[in-house]
Parts: sequence; C-alpha cells; structure tokens
Amino acid sequence: MSKSLLIVDDSATMRKIVMRTIRMSGLDFETTEEAGNGVEALEKLSAGPVDIMLCDVNMPEMSGTELVKEVRKLSDCENTKIIMVSTESSQELIDGVIADGANGFITKPFTPEKFQEKLSPFMN
Amino acid sequence: MIEQVCLNELLLESAKEIFETMVFMDLAECTEPAENAEDCALLGTITFKGALEGCLAFCCSVPCARAIAMNMLGIDTSEEIAEEDVCDAIGEICNMVMGSVKKRLAESAGNLEVSIPSVVSGRQLKNNMGEGSHKTTVKINIEDEYVTELSLLYHENSN
Ligand SMILES: [Mg+2]
Repeated sequence: MSKSLLIVDDSATMRKIVMRTIRMSGLDFETTEEAGNGVEALEKLSAGPVDIMLCDVNMPEMSGTELVKEVRKLSDCENTKIIMVSTESSQELIDGVIADGANGFITKPFTPEKFQEKLSPFMN
Repeated sequence: MIEQVCLNELLLESAKEIFETMVFMDLAECTEPAENAEDCALLGTITFKGALEGCLAFCCSVPCARAIAMNMLGIDTSEEIAEEDVCDAIGEICNMVMGSVKKRLAESAGNLEVSIPSVVSGRQLKNNMGEGSHKTTVKINIEDEYVTELSLLYHENSN
C-alpha cells in the first residue's frame, strides 16, 4: 500500500539528506512533504494526516518533543507513526518522547539500513 | 579529569564515525605542518554545557566545505550547490560530531546540554573563556586533499 511521509526538520539540508537516505534504503513513499518547524508541520497535518512523520528534536519555535504531544492531540493523526531523528540519544529523552506518543527513534549519524529497519514495520 | 591525549583521539574517532557514515569521505590525522591560514575559511561551532562547558569547532576551506556538502547530499560534481546548503551541511557536521563526542564523554562528564550549531566565515576560534580553560585541536586530512581542524575548547565545572 502506498504511504505518505512528512519530514520535519529546521535544516533544509538535513531534510534533503534524510530524503536521500530514504531513497537509498529502497523505501517507497507515494507522497513526501516537508516542514521546517513544528508549527509548519501542524499546518500540513491539519490539511490531512500522513502515514509516517520523521521528526527532528532540536528545532526553534517548537521542539520535536512538543510537536509529538501536539500531534497526539489530533484525532485525525491517531494512526500517524512518528519516528524521531536526532543526534540526542539519551535514554531519558527517548523514553520521554515514546511515552508522549512517538513510535520510534533514529539516532544520527544514520544509515539507509537504519531507516529500512525502523520504518519497514509501518509500511504495510 | 580528562586527559588531552585522550581528547585528541576522541575527537578524531568521533569525526571518523560521522564522515564514514554520513559523508562517505576518508579521514586521517594530519601530521604535516599548518597550511596557509586562508585555507581555513569556514568555521562551524556548537556549544555545550554541563560538567564540561565550552564549544566544539570545525574549520575548513570553502572548497572542502562544498565537497563535504555535495557528498552528504549526493550531488554530482557537475551540479551547482547553494551556499546555504554548504553552511547547513557544516553545521550538521558539528552537530553530529558533537553528538558523538557527547556519547563518548558521557561516562566521565555526564550529560552535556548541546546548542544549535552556527557557521560563520573566518578561521579564528578565540579563547575567551579565561583561565583554567583548555583547547585541544586535531588536524584532520580529508580524502588526502583537504586539511581541516577540529577543536574542543572547554573548562571543567566543579559544581
Ligand atoms: Mg535541528
């Protein structure tokens, strides 16, 4: 089944790198959208939910951890899988954001294999 | 608390980890004397605080920064790359190398809080942290073509 993807990161360059890595991983999305911060991501999601959201943690305006809480308040997005992508990898942060409703965590630096491993369970 | 010698090794290992995984470029410690100062024209920094407080800096030439960014983005050498992407890529390098340093220092320094990286033109990393601060710099050769510098400037917080 074809899936939709939303990449949220304040760095446009990082969004491109994530997209490149996803292409290299062989994962296929029907649509890919981008947002530069949490506020922009919520705007995109209010227009329609996505299947998978990849989310940076450190962002100005609204951090990734705040964004997860906001997305989980949207009944439309209850099936949206949220995977965090960050260089921050403390267990405390990971446990906290999973408790808030994220579905997975990818630490930077990442490989195409890592995306394959973490995203493929949500691709069916 | 932290030996300078170990820090050198730690910086190098952290940079290697990032460059091998995300940049696909080979790194080696450079033992040759310093290059022309103008060669180091872009400076990426990221600050941290905790038991250790200071900043990590990565300094390289503009052609080197472009090569790094193009590799990270998978852009062909015949294509153009925006200056913004070049700066962003160097910022991201700092962010990821700092992440790796932080992980490796966790046992001796505990959790360090890390800022958002910034990238500027110019090479001088001024030590304005005063007495009791240390600076470790490792010269890194990238792909046998570019000489870059990775520095850690810090002081220890006793409380
Ligand atoms: Mg960010």
